[in-house]
Amino acid sequence: MTWRRTLLIVALLTPGLGVILVMIGSVFYVAVMQSFGYYNLVGEDSFSLEHWQKVLDSKQFSRALSYSAYIAVVAAIGSVILAYPIAIWLRRPFRGSLVISALLKAPLFVPGLVASFLFLNVIAFHGIVNQLLMWIGATDAPIRLQNDRGAWGVVFLQLWKNLPFALLLLTGAVQSISDEVLDAARDLGAGSFDRFRKVIAPLTVQAMQASLIIIFIGAAGDFAFQVTAGPTNVQSMAQYMVFLKDSFGRWNQAAVVGVSLMGLALFGSLVLAVLARVVLRGGARW
Amino acid sequence: MVSLADSPTATAPKKRLRTGGTLNRILMVLLLTVVTIWLVVPFTMAVLWSLVDPETGWNYPDLLPPSLTVLRWVEVWTTTALPQAIANSYMLAPTVAVVTLLLASPTAYCFARYDFPGKGLAQVATLLPLVVPGFVLAIFFSSLIFSLGIYSRFLSILMAHCVLFLPYAIRIMTVSFGQVRQDLIDAARDLGASPFAVFRAAYMPALLPGILASLIIVFIQSIEEFAIAFIVGAPNFTTIPSILYSYLGYNFIRPNAAVVSLILVVPNVLLMLGLERLLKSANPAQMGGKG
Repeated sequence: MTWRRTLLIVALLTPGLGVILVMIGSVFYVAVMQSFGYYNLVGEDSFSLEHWQKVLDSKQFSRALSYSAYIAVVAAIGSVILAYPIAIWLRRPFRGSLVISALLKAPLFVPGLVASFLFLNVIAFHGIVNQLLMWIGATDAPIRLQNDRGAWGVVFLQLWKNLPFALLLLTGAVQSISDEVLDAARDLGAGSFDRFRKVIAPLTVQAMQASLIIIFIGAAGDFAFQVTAGPTNVQSMAQYMVFLKDSFGRWNQAAVVGVSLMGLALFGSLVLAVLARVVLRGGARW
Repeated sequence: MVSLADSPTATAPKKRLRTGGTLNRILMVLLLTVVTIWLVVPFTMAVLWSLVDPETGWNYPDLLPPSLTVLRWVEVWTTTALPQAIANSYMLAPTVAVVTLLLASPTAYCFARYDFPGKGLAQVATLLPLVVPGFVLAIFFSSLIFSLGIYSRFLSILMAHCVLFLPYAIRIMTVSFGQVRQDLIDAARDLGASPFAVFRAAYMPALLPGILASLIIVFIQSIEEFAIAFIVGAPNFTTIPSILYSYLGYNFIRPNAAVVSLILVVPNVLLMLGLERLLKSANPAQMGGKG
């Protein structure tokens, strides 16, 4: 490459990629530095491990970390498990298949807070769920379902919101498997489960990994679902971080939680991606 | 995505389709029921809640509200900060859409029409804003702008939204620039066209759907974005999602939340349907897939 060409490419990349790198880089830098006692809004800057120590010692932090990790794992794996059969079903077009996939994708266009609100209405005291429970005689009076301690509400919302996304990625991947491959597997005597395990899953592993990673990161950093529909006895990482910042402006401790959340997102999504590959490749010895 | 057009040819697949017919019909009915439960019921309830008469309320054991009125809509409109929030959101979003498109285009042009070492890595790096958790980005971006001494909320949210949604615009515009045909550019040049005429004749027709798609998707994302608008904008600069959050949080006011939810979601669904028509071949959901 001539230097002129290099210069041209750098100039073209600057407003888009350059802006992204500078901005995300500085946000990351500020978060890390703040967690070690720099960039204080008030007071002197000095290196200190005190903030890390304080946060890591608190029970609230370990609860938030394991809670967010749990929600993220369930959301990522659950969405993919639910999306696979539908993606395989929609592989070949049939009458109405386009309508169905459009309807299934609809939650993608509903913002998180609106989704929460819709859900809270359905499970309210006189929401349809309670009405149904009473009609079938499962209960005499409406039950309080909101902010349940088991976080079933949050899990449901995560699946509602992320299943369409997994479906979108997996449908594309499943449709790109040619009929010949599947017919060959069938001719060799593979049943439908074997066809899934030995043909479809290994061929769509990249789409599956992409879904797992993106859903995991989104669910690990969830704030909206947790605050509106989640259990009140535990905080998610994002909620805990906002709480620290808002109460007495504990920015440095919020930074520790923020950096840990980024670590969780990176570590968790990598583990899931590697696990998906190992499990599927392990099942594909043929 | 692979097109759906590579249809079965011989007789064997036909047989399979027929045996699958009954099963498909049962599955269809089942799925339509599920979809009704998970889309139609919740939205109907939101519409009903926004129309509940404050005089009579909607309490257990009424299956439907006893009387309906638009009073809530009038009340929310006249007594809350909603009009200001709508004005803020609808001023912010088009600005974000245009600026993001302008920032994304050179990079997209470069990705589509040049080869250079490290291109794959560069393309992956443009996805960075999508993998940083939203609230981490919001909080430490606000910390960053404080230390830089930027106090305009509008400008701060504008900057953050542009970076956050650049990945979508870059991806869409890369596809569009890839569709510009080199022979058309050469032909226009050979015929003595000026650079502007070349752009109009060879680039514009291929780019137009991508430009519109990028504008619409970034617009919708910006209207709906909550983390940055809430953290960076609080408490002075309210947007529609931050108003909605205030009705869902400590002061849970169901009918008001219903009104705001509908104001937030209905225009965007209409825009999305418009986009779907605009790009019959492309898949806007895939380009705009958001978490």
